[in-house]
Amino acid sequence: MTRKQRRLTIIGGSLGVLAVAAALVLNAMRDSIVFFSTPSMVAEKHVQPGKRFRLGGLVQPGSLVRGDNLAVTFSVADGSATLPVAYKGILPDLFREGQGVVAEGALDPSGVFKADTVLAKHDETYMPREVADALKKQGHWKDDYGAKPDYNAGAEGGSRAAQTVAPAKQGSLQ
Amino acid sequence: MIAESGHYALVLALALALIQSTLPILGARWRDFALMNVARSAALAQLLFVAASFAALVTLHATSDFSVVNVFENSHSLKPMIYKITGVWGNHEGSMLLWVFILALFGGLVAAFGNNLPLSLRAHVLAVQAWIASAFYLFILITSNPFLRIANPPIEGRDLNPVLQDIGLAVHPPMLYLGYVGFSISFSFAVAALIEGRIDAAWARWVRPWTLVAWIFLTLGIAMGSYWAYYELGWGGWWFWDPVENASLMPWLAGTALLHSAVVMEKRNALKIWTILLSILTFSLSLLGTFLVRSGVLTSVHAFATDPTRGVFILLILCVFIGGSLTLYAWRASALKQGGLFAPISREGALVLNNLFLTTACATVFIGTLYPLALEVLTGDKISVGAPFFNLTFAPLFVPLLIALPFGPLLAWKRGDLLGAAQRLSAAGIAALIAIAVLWAWTRGGSAFAPLAIGLAVFVVAGALSDLAERTGVFRMPFGTAMRRSRGLPRSTWGTAFAHAGVGIALIGIVCETTWNSEYIGSMKPNDTTEIAGYELKLAGVTQRQGPNFRETVAQFAVSLDGKPLSTMMPSKRNFTTRASSTTEAALLTRGASQLYISLGEAAADGAIAVRIYHKPLVLLIWFGPVLMAFGGMLSLSDRRLRVGAPKPAKAMRGLQAAE
Amino acid sequence: MMLWFVFALMTAAAVFAVLWPLSRHGRLQKDGSEAAVYKDQLTEIDRDVAAGLIASSEAAAARVEISRRLLAAADNQRDRPFVSSISLRRSAAVIALVGLPIAAIALYLPLGSPWLGDFPLAQRARAPEVTQPLDSLVAQVEQHLEKNPTDGRGWNVLAPVLARLGRYDEAVRAYRSSITYNGDSAERRADLGEALAAAASGVITAEAKAEFERALALNADQVKASYFLGVAAEQDGRAAEAASIWRAMLAKAPTDAPWRPLVQAALARVDGSAPALSDDIVAAAKDMNDTDRGAMIRGMVERLASRLKQNGDDVEGWLRLVRAYIVMGDRDKAKSALTDARQAVAYDAERLRQLNEGLKNLGLNG
Repeated sequence: MTRKQRRLTIIGGSLGVLAVAAALVLNAMRDSIVFFSTPSMVAEKHVQPGKRFRLGGLVQPGSLVRGDNLAVTFSVADGSATLPVAYKGILPDLFREGQGVVAEGALDPSGVFKADTVLAKHDETYMPREVADALKKQGHWKDDYGAKPDYNAGAEGGSRAAQTVAPAKQGSLQ
Repeated sequence: MIAESGHYALVLALALALIQSTLPILGARWRDFALMNVARSAALAQLLFVAASFAALVTLHATSDFSVVNVFENSHSLKPMIYKITGVWGNHEGSMLLWVFILALFGGLVAAFGNNLPLSLRAHVLAVQAWIASAFYLFILITSNPFLRIANPPIEGRDLNPVLQDIGLAVHPPMLYLGYVGFSISFSFAVAALIEGRIDAAWARWVRPWTLVAWIFLTLGIAMGSYWAYYELGWGGWWFWDPVENASLMPWLAGTALLHSAVVMEKRNALKIWTILLSILTFSLSLLGTFLVRSGVLTSVHAFATDPTRGVFILLILCVFIGGSLTLYAWRASALKQGGLFAPISREGALVLNNLFLTTACATVFIGTLYPLALEVLTGDKISVGAPFFNLTFAPLFVPLLIALPFGPLLAWKRGDLLGAAQRLSAAGIAALIAIAVLWAWTRGGSAFAPLAIGLAVFVVAGALSDLAERTGVFRMPFGTAMRRSRGLPRSTWGTAFAHAGVGIALIGIVCETTWNSEYIGSMKPNDTTEIAGYELKLAGVTQRQGPNFRETVAQFAVSLDGKPLSTMMPSKRNFTTRASSTTEAALLTRGASQLYISLGEAAADGAIAVRIYHKPLVLLIWFGPVLMAFGGMLSLSDRRLRVGAPKPAKAMRGLQAAE
Repeated sequence: MMLWFVFALMTAAAVFAVLWPLSRHGRLQKDGSEAAVYKDQLTEIDRDVAAGLIASSEAAAARVEISRRLLAAADNQRDRPFVSSISLRRSAAVIALVGLPIAAIALYLPLGSPWLGDFPLAQRARAPEVTQPLDSLVAQVEQHLEKNPTDGRGWNVLAPVLARLGRYDEAVRAYRSSITYNGDSAERRADLGEALAAAASGVITAEAKAEFERALALNADQVKASYFLGVAAEQDGRAAEAASIWRAMLAKAPTDAPWRPLVQAALARVDGSAPALSDDIVAAAKDMNDTDRGAMIRGMVERLASRLKQNGDDVEGWLRLVRAYIVMGDRDKAKSALTDARQAVAYDAERLRQLNEGLKNLGLNG
């Protein structure tokens, strides 16, 4: 083989592999990507039952119901809409009412979100990014989530004041 | 005093790094050896100060000095000592300090053992290293300072995230960082070569041991992280295609390609410009990994805190270093002398193929990881790219790579004989076919995919073995001769065989685990029994226990096989009062390379407890493979030819006589 | 001072690290070269040939190739030789001597806190603290009581201390033990009720109310019990009842009773446009941040709801609950509370009428 031929072989081979890889990527992009929605986005867009997506929001306090054999239902809320979710399995350690959650699955014909995966936040200041963004848009975001406190700013506020209401009277009554 | 000394030591390290990043380069320009030698002592002093700074932070954590914000936020006086210490790098600030400590360590090692490098190359390498170091010292001091204080120290700390309170954390991030940061050396060598405008085969020889060290640590770090996720996160998965995991996989793929292309460059003085580019890309991907984890731009199971200012700072560092080095590359690469060309069927050709597939695979991971980000910036749509995407793209690219893998070492340099190599691989091919046939018969009705994949893995392992057999001539020659030949074989040859076999073994584990994994998820009451993969598990009881800083619910499972009791497994669920959070501690029972895995869920009011039980056949091979790869890497590293330090011809002569 | 001395030492060490190579003028240390690598490669080929790993023809070709590289490297070595200029070194030394300390100090001072010493936990545990004597005293008494749980006097001492330390749940237990071992008394019942209320963040729960009523049954003039029953009435929204209790207290009280001002203030509060929550609770809530306040209000509303679940006769309570839910913006819960209220008072026409009237005032019709 001449020099030129060798070079062509190598360049041709590389281009071939790259073309195959590009085809694979495009093919996978079409089939295996899931979108993220919040309950109000679901309500607006009329998502088709059976289409997989990720649902994010806060677990509605008081909505968690445990059924038989690890079946659970709860509602996910984003401040303006709620969506019932059904899940069968063990919830993550950090799943809690009133906290952020991301569930993956699809709507069933009756409008219940059947989740096959539930992810919860991983510490108390961390919130799934999509959930945080969505809540910010809805105006339900408090800026002190995850903000760094300034420890030298002064004594902590009277958060326990309520508890001292009754004893405060003690002295004057005795 | 310890806190402030540690802080000041870090500042001094920055000052030294600034000097180290300028004086030696000026020295090289004016060919002044004294100025160039400043690089060396400055790098060593920098290491000393960063080590002191890191030691100070460890001491502060160990003594629970809550006047330091970092200790207050991430420690607790009741925490066991080992977790007080591992907690140092379980948080953002501490882990960044560990990062620069390792960076300084590698710089110090080059300074101390780089005697075999030309003076100006060493000066340039250390100066580039100091640029990186300066940027990260500034980052730490300005945005993530671990030595900030509280004037009125609180009585008690806020604990470490209990998910991170595990011995896996003690070793996994440092390993990973040794890998990430180790690639900074090959980056510095590449940039130094571009600045000097000169590169040749010797460069590859100098850079290879450092790349190999980084690669070994990264391999072990990834494997360890995967095992940690497997037993700590409690759902039995070992790889999630999570962005943070991808962030460590990308430098690994690029680094593996770099290792192989450096061999071509060393032996044949070819692929020079490509190798330089790979060095830059590998470290850029490591930096990107740091960025992905630190900036919190990606939703991920990893729990490091998120802070946009840090993200912007790291993005800036990223742009300057990646953009800068690539610009330098575009500007200077054409000035470098081109290497020779070679025949496609040859050892070089095989290594090019390896590079081609590894970098393409790396690119698909890159796209899968960053495409959601790009799409969000462009259209605002939020998507997630998960395992299905990577299974459809990454896996098909690895198949041809693995088929070609055994041929590489059997082909000669320059002009290879494909037919001859195929003949020598016939035994391996037969072994693979037998494996496929046996598995096919055994799992009749199952998917065809698993037997074929395992056949491929067997081919890779047997191929590595037949390469060894071929070189030692163990089946052709008398045993004594073969032994002598095997002693004379360079250690790097052994290393290659072990590393390649490791790939096959990991593949066997992966295929077995994903195909024949059986699971039971349900709720059990005491004295309930369940059966999984022939094992019978009986929930003997559930008890409460008080740990040092948590309460745990422990379930006892009596495991028996064919009626014979085997063992008791005790998975538990821990509740940490300070953080009001809980973790799941899975129980593992190892049987050969397979494992039984139990983790607990919520306890119901009627005394039943939710459990997940898995039987994972040959799952340990998934991590044994990488360990074998790393061992192969270490063998190569111990090869005399790669040893760091001045070459010693006299000793080489003695080695020669011994081999005769 | 010690700290600055350490800083000075460290700075000196850093400066020395830069100055040291500058001070060494003799011939530079041995450095590596490309030629060494290629020579090494040549010996390697010899070794491979000897071991029979490569054929001699391949070896010869490789030798030629490496020798070519060796020659090229030797060419490169004949670059300009290394020099060392005194002036360069001097300027570098000046940078190190002046620039390094200045840079370090300029960076450190705005970031560091050199006036703060270390505070390791061990050292602080030894240091005396204001709360510590009381804490250790409590611990001692608790230890003693663990061994002698029937010592009524011990419980008597411990209970008020626990209440003052804010450990209300434990105080409740201690008061109960005190009643068990010292016998019943109006004071102890009143104290127990107060501790119960404190444990519930100031809400007079049904349990607390029962204790106050028992105290009054034992001694109709028990001041604390009367006062808190007034608070209970106020919290339930029966302002008139609260006012009458307190008025009766003031009428009976001696003019110099220390608690007069407190009761008068309470009375003034309910005589006005009786707020749903007592003023001091609202005042306390003012000092809190939003999250804490929200939590406190939610907590109180929940307690009210659970109390009404046990005893649904309290029309005012139901109205208060509904109002609270409306204020909190939770109309669904308000509606369900309304339904519950209707069911609870359905058998009593008078109460049902009260309820509907109240609802009209709230602007809810059905």
